[in-house]
Amino acid sequence: MILLCAGKTSERDFDALLLFARTLADQGHQVAIDESSVGFELRKHHKYEAAPFLCAQGEADVTRVIVLSSDGVSEDAQLLLRSLQLDPAVPVHVIGRFPTHQDGLTAMNRVAFASGSPPELVNLSETQPNPLLDTAICPMLTELAAEPTQTEAGPAATLLYLNQETLEADPNILPALGALSHHADIALHILTNAQGKDLIRRSTYSTLSVFAYAELPPATLAGMVDILAVFGSNVPGERVAQLAVNMMGAGKVVIDCTDNSAFEATGAPVIRGHPEPASFENYLISAILPNRIEIGRRAQLSDWMKGHGFSDLAMRLRLETPKDTPKLSKAQTLFFPTNGNGLGHAQRCALVAEALPKGAAPGAFAAFPSCVDMLQSRGFPTLPMAQRTAQHSGEYANDLLNYLRLRQTLRSGDQLVFDGGYVFDSVYRAISELNLSATWIRRGLWQATQVHPTALERERVFDRVIVPQEAFPELNRSYSGGEKLHPVGPIVNAGKLDSKAKTDIRAGLASTFKRESSKLVVTMLGGGMASDRASQLQMLSALMETREDTLHLIVAWPNAVINSGLYAWKNTEVVSTKYAARLAQAADLVISAAGYNSFHEMLYAQVPTIFVPQHAPYLDDQEARARAAADRDVATLVLDHELLLLEREVAAHLDGDKAGTIRAALTKLALPDPGNTDAARIIAEGNLS
Amino acid sequence: MAAELKVAKTLGRVTVHALTTGMFSRRPVAAQLQDALSTLDIELIWDAPVISGDVVVVHNPSCLRFDTKLPGKIIARHLIAVEHENFLQPTGQEAYDVRACHDLLLHGSLALRRSLAPISDWNRRSIDGWSNTFGQLDGWDKLGLDWFNICDLPLTPPTDVPGDRRGRHSRPGFDKFPPPETMAHCFPEHADHNLILGADALIAADEAPQHWTLVPFRGMAVEDYLRQIDFMVYYTAPTFRESFGRVLAEGIAAGKLVISDAETASTFGGAVIAADPREVNQVIARYVADPASYQRAVRTAQAVLAAFSPEAFQDQIGPYLTGQAALDDAA
Repeated sequence: MILLCAGKTSERDFDALLLFARTLADQGHQVAIDESSVGFELRKHHKYEAAPFLCAQGEADVTRVIVLSSDGVSEDAQLLLRSLQLDPAVPVHVIGRFPTHQDGLTAMNRVAFASGSPPELVNLSETQPNPLLDTAICPMLTELAAEPTQTEAGPAATLLYLNQETLEADPNILPALGALSHHADIALHILTNAQGKDLIRRSTYSTLSVFAYAELPPATLAGMVDILAVFGSNVPGERVAQLAVNMMGAGKVVIDCTDNSAFEATGAPVIRGHPEPASFENYLISAILPNRIEIGRRAQLSDWMKGHGFSDLAMRLRLETPKDTPKLSKAQTLFFPTNGNGLGHAQRCALVAEALPKGAAPGAFAAFPSCVDMLQSRGFPTLPMAQRTAQHSGEYANDLLNYLRLRQTLRSGDQLVFDGGYVFDSVYRAISELNLSATWIRRGLWQATQVHPTALERERVFDRVIVPQEAFPELNRSYSGGEKLHPVGPIVNAGKLDSKAKTDIRAGLASTFKRESSKLVVTMLGGGMASDRASQLQMLSALMETREDTLHLIVAWPNAVINSGLYAWKNTEVVSTKYAARLAQAADLVISAAGYNSFHEMLYAQVPTIFVPQHAPYLDDQEARARAAADRDVATLVLDHELLLLEREVAAHLDGDKAGTIRAALTKLALPDPGNTDAARIIAEGNLS
Repeated sequence: MAAELKVAKTLGRVTVHALTTGMFSRRPVAAQLQDALSTLDIELIWDAPVISGDVVVVHNPSCLRFDTKLPGKIIARHLIAVEHENFLQPTGQEAYDVRACHDLLLHGSLALRRSLAPISDWNRRSIDGWSNTFGQLDGWDKLGLDWFNICDLPLTPPTDVPGDRRGRHSRPGFDKFPPPETMAHCFPEHADHNLILGADALIAADEAPQHWTLVPFRGMAVEDYLRQIDFMVYYTAPTFRESFGRVLAEGIAAGKLVISDAETASTFGGAVIAADPREVNQVIARYVADPASYQRAVRTAQAVLAAFSPEAFQDQIGPYLTGQAALDDAA
């Protein structure tokens, strides 16, 4: 394993370490960064980028050490090197930009004294005499592809770097970018600093695809786009310089639109562009697009690139090319449903996975603990993921772990199917960095506050977005468009129990609870993370207590926390089960939350239901869904504070004929065909592509 | 240098110049040197545009490693560069940009002769090794004798009852410390005392076992440290070697038995016991068990220090300071 060390403990040095670690890892090398290299508060992007490489102090099995030391070798770095107690046979290298012979010797001696081994020096001043950035610490290397790797079909993915100052300098820039984003031959993305991103998000052009400066590693960005144009007063930093090198090595186009021709002046194989962003469109369309493949080819062949080819360094370091990892015989499809205490996303994914066509890659799951039992009991191999808890240090500590698990599980060409509203960083990064085929199952009916460009911007890393439709057309809203969007019918377990099965279930309940009852009421109000349903549950249990002929089941998912007060009622039983829908189908009345799955299962199974919607900022608009059913007289809506109304509606269903009326209305209700099979087919096609 | 000035002053007119260099900028003049200058009534001249003399001795030309020109010209019959730093590390790695530093002197001087003056046998070997690898330094010859450090130190008699009380002292740099494994051999748990002065790096690394007493550089007076030990055990990083090893002479003079690696020990003609780190315990056990032998060894070592006395310096180096040796060499 190659251990990478920074010459100094600083954010800039660490950033360079991460860039170079990625370059080495992309060439198949095992890379480690000792945790002692982190001597400052890491930013979020640092944590995700470092996670695959960080190792506990002294725990890496070191076969080679590389020190990036353009900025010198600090005592901290020397302490780390000394602590390694290297075998003299382990090669040690010092890589840096050393303008004088003495500078190189100073770095070498400091490394030698601490490591106990004489290092070999790679002086970037000699191998890369005209770098994009004189001050860069990272060696700025890339693989030189044999042929341009641009996407030839479809629009050219074009990334424009403009920082906040550039964006603010001319009021015509954003309108020009807005116009360019609608050009059929261009898929436009903006790369900018945090202030620049904020500026765009607050503008009328907020739907532009914007990457923050360090949102994704340069190597990942380079894989996503065909053309890079950089505006501003200089080479903006090591990340953009590395991005440009990655792109030129891949035979892509880099356009130097800086005020001072900062890229071109180094001799790098870039194309000079006009520094005014507002005049960029014509140049891009007329001069670059028709020739972009050839421009990329010429860039690859330039002498300048030879010093930036990874193979040059590999030869100097005598790095052996790692053996190829044996390829799996077939790409896998991994479903990752997001879930708290409920199982809605996991249930939906399981329905789709079960509908995958014969011969398609079999579905496996990565899932949070609440879903693991259910998925495994349905026969799916399931990788447990870490749920966010108060015990984690930091709000995304669990997601970092999940990111590592996804990276360890998935390979390029596999498909990741994510079902959830917010695309976690782990998912976003795994897809883009591993070059996965990616599908987002994104049910609609978001609350108004949830619909904003930030929530949708990560759609860009997905190849397909499957939108399960709602039963009622007015509930279907479109949050984005384009060819990757695939609306399908409701994904629902639409299986209906026959009367014998229902009779058997009720007989089973009578036997289990040793009591006969003529009426069965099932309550499944959800709860836990989303909202406190204690008052409704207690009130319903109290109502049922006077009904000697009624068995009241409070159904909860396995692992859900049950209020112990519910166990005191004699007509009420608490049931933890994965088979809530089956119990509900056998009931005379169901009182349910209006989540996507429960709602559609009750409609398709034609069960009289009182819907009590849940409310939480991160939930969908359950009230709108329940109201649409109530407006059609196929269900009843009671809001969570309407306890007296709930009492009246329960009586109306159990004592009056409302349940019968609703059941009759449900039999006449025309519902769309379920979309399970369509969703599965789209996913299977994704694997083939 | 302070000791050397005292000798030189008896041989002729002496001027002392100081250069501001990139390596030692804003560093105050060492107290010992300042004292000697005061005692000898010599004025220290900073960055003179012209430095001239029959003989000009440049101590430690490696201090020019971060400079691109000399502040002034040097005019001399004989320009002597005393090489306080090795040219090569023991691994064969170049210690500093030797050619650049000497070329600065070469191009910044007008001299009939320019000589490199090694300061020890190991130092001489490193100069030879460098020349073999990188070629001769144009315009320079090499003196045939060692321009040694004068060790004019008061001699303290050895203890009658040596114990297993070990210590080492040095500047705190990583070059001065051997790998952790060697340190563990040299300062074991069974020793009665393990005192390490200048242990800043070990303290920072949290590397030390409980049975080591670590004191940062200048954390205690050297005399106090020496009073607490009977054996000085001194090894450096395998990638570094002392060019002279004055610290070992200080230990000998203080009445301690000094143990080091063979090459470092070689400067002192048998006064330092050469041993592999894994043999240190054995060596110490033998001398602790035989105090008479310990005393004999220390006294013998102290006698060897006479070879580094001011008188020896005057005898051997004096002719170069007066210019006589240069004339003899020319003849």
